[in-house]
Amino acid sequence: MTAPSHSSDASDSALIGRFLGGDEVAFRALYRRHTPRLRMIVVRLLGASRRDEVDDVVQETWLAGCRGLHRYTGDAKFSSWLTTIGIRAAYARFGRAGETELFDELPAPEGPGPGAAVDLDRALSHLPDHQRVVVVLHDIEGFTHEEIARHLGMAVGTSKATLSRARAVLRRLLNDGVSHVG
Amino acid sequence: MLDDQDLIELDARERRFFDALPRESQPPPRELDHLVSALRAEGFFRPVPRRTTWMIQLAAAVLLVVLGGLAGARMATRNSLEVMLDRTDLTVTDRILLMQRAGSAYVRASNAYAGSVARADSTAVEVASRVLMGAAQAVARSDLDGGVSARLTEALRAGQKRALPAPTVHRVLWF
Repeated sequence: MTAPSHSSDASDSALIGRFLGGDEVAFRALYRRHTPRLRMIVVRLLGASRRDEVDDVVQETWLAGCRGLHRYTGDAKFSSWLTTIGIRAAYARFGRAGETELFDELPAPEGPGPGAAVDLDRALSHLPDHQRVVVVLHDIEGFTHEEIARHLGMAVGTSKATLSRARAVLRRLLNDGVSHVG
Repeated sequence: MLDDQDLIELDARERRFFDALPRESQPPPRELDHLVSALRAEGFFRPVPRRTTWMIQLAAAVLLVVLGGLAGARMATRNSLEVMLDRTDLTVTDRILLMQRAGSAYVRASNAYAGSVARADSTAVEVASRVLMGAAQAVARSDLDGGVSARLTEALRAGQKRALPAPTVHRVLWF
């Protein structure tokens, strides 16, 4: 068995190959490498009202990824492939409960004043689900509208329009302060 | 349909806010172990031959050999003369058989003793006669033989008084 220290230096494709051969150490290395970023994306996609579902979605993502890993061809980066699964797992949650209405129960600002990153995160977490997902994928994760449309099953124009509306709301939130909006 | 020129673009300040957002979030420490357990249950990981397992198997084999040896020794000595003599749960029939075995053992021991000495020296005669005398006296005291042992004892005493020379025949013909 290869030592864990070697696993931390190995490429994704090497770790995947070893994992498919039953190597637990290789899987642990993959998890440690990719989960922090995946989890941050899932946190933002789900928003504040589903914060307690984050780790369930991360686990679902890994399980689905492992089950389908034999279909991973290596054309895309493994992190992108895994993120795609995570986006779909998070998006599937949106139909399970009522959406958080914009400006409902917005918490008072804490710590840094309006304009700080913490306020942007807070404002993002209170956008309607479909708007927040598009902003997170486009403005934070760098997805194109075509990719967003493909992953979420919507038209490209819908993705653009949704992003535009979401940016307008965020601009008001950032300019006026989160607690002053609505 | 929204034209691209109608899309609200982020200004530099907003872009900085987005760029400043954290990109990673550490999972709770136990999540990985839970996931590994779930994957193991689905058969993703091959069983790892651990050194501890190998050592446990070796220890079990050694213990089995030791226990087997002890059990064999116990089986071998369970019906030995010494063990049977110490038992208190024997029937009368068992005790008769035990006396026969003990007598036969005595004869065999005497023959072996006689055969082992190069010549019938005085020490051998002394040992053999004392053992024979002791056995005869013990039987005479228990009065199990209708006086045979008592008479034999008298004859042995008389023989000792006459200080006969050492017998030339080594074989003990008793029992």
